[in-house]
Amino acid sequence: MVIAALTSARYPVADPDEAVELCFARGWTDGLPVVPPTPDRVEAMLLATRLAPAHQVTYIAHRAVSITAEKVAINAVLAGCRPEYMPVVVAAIEAIGDPRWSYHGPGTSTAGAAVLIVVNGPVARAIDVNAGDNLFGPGWRANLTIGRAVRLVMRNVCGSRPGTLDRGTLGHPGKLSYVIAENEAESPWLPLHVERGLRPDQSAVTVMAADGPHQFYNQLSSTAEGILTTLADDMRVSGNVMGQPQYLLVLAGEHMRTIARDGWTKAMIREFVFARTQNSHAHLKRTQRMAGAPEPGDESRMRPLVESPDDILIVAAGGRAGAFSAYVPGWGSRRASQAVTKEVKP
Amino acid sequence: MMEILDPTVPPSPGAASSIAYAERPASLAGKRIALIENTKFNSDRLLQKIGDILTTEYGAAETRMWRKQNASVPAHEEVIDEVRRTCDVMVAGIGD
Repeated sequence: MVIAALTSARYPVADPDEAVELCFARGWTDGLPVVPPTPDRVEAMLLATRLAPAHQVTYIAHRAVSITAEKVAINAVLAGCRPEYMPVVVAAIEAIGDPRWSYHGPGTSTAGAAVLIVVNGPVARAIDVNAGDNLFGPGWRANLTIGRAVRLVMRNVCGSRPGTLDRGTLGHPGKLSYVIAENEAESPWLPLHVERGLRPDQSAVTVMAADGPHQFYNQLSSTAEGILTTLADDMRVSGNVMGQPQYLLVLAGEHMRTIARDGWTKAMIREFVFARTQNSHAHLKRTQRMAGAPEPGDESRMRPLVESPDDILIVAAGGRAGAFSAYVPGWGSRRASQAVTKEVKP
Repeated sequence: MMEILDPTVPPSPGAASSIAYAERPASLAGKRIALIENTKFNSDRLLQKIGDILTTEYGAAETRMWRKQNASVPAHEEVIDEVRRTCDVMVAGIGD
């Protein structure tokens, strides 16, 4: 297959070292060295998706920016992606351009959201996206470079640079890359992408604007109810508790097996956690999260952490050993940004 | 020698840098003021305070407030259309 000519500006450099330094000098990197985006590397990246360079992957209305396949490919090379990762990067870029994700908020907000990307389906195994030990890193090229490519597109194409259009007060390490796969091989549950409308044999990414992962301990209980009681207690006042964002629960090996042994489905987990993460208005007022002084009835007037049980996403992922799991608060509120699932086209 | 490709894009037509701003009025006397509230806590109170100052100290005729759908999106079309028809000056902002 012959692809159309690349139209991006070209910069001559003497050698790879000079190329890397030019990328730093131009402000094209996230602070780490990059792979020089030579035309042959960029063409290989495009060939992996069979997309023409001028193909519009998505349009960010809030920025009036068209993101073309050529620019995605250049940034994927910079990030260190292999060409076979490119369809996953493209799907993730489509997802952050979806109006439901609503780019401007999570891209810019002082609350410092990262783009959490969950990869499901056959592609996750094919390109070795880690779903096990050291889930959130380091150690796996696909996990670290796919998310990095997405962030570099946000930086270089959308203009989301720290201090200007990315105003994160604290940010977090997930803003470098924040990619996991679901452990579909060992999970007793429906995979996330199937719950969200795709077939098991399709591949997909789900993107969520998200805080960092919060690990919780339960090394005591041997029941689903015990583990999830600890989770709910840990989670109840996390994140933007007054904003009602979405959450991702990441249930790792030991907890996954214990909860599954008791026969709990993802739907049952969602209902249980939804019911046990509600806060009384009195507590929210006493702890300065809700405005005003506690009034009669506030002790029993409850506010759910999320709007609906469906705002709790669940994946099985993480190492086989260790009685730990995690919850990841989304950014802002569900009204401001929602998790979006897109097929990774073969 | 080798070549590398530019990963950035030049600002497109319609991007913030190419917006044509409306002409600013020389005076606010008699002007109708639109206040665009971004839904964040206290933003309505802050904007109303600003509106009051514009009427009492600068002679604006009236103020009226609209609420965005949420803080992270532009004001929706219906709001912009109505403001265009019924107001002369708009005050909008974002903050926590």
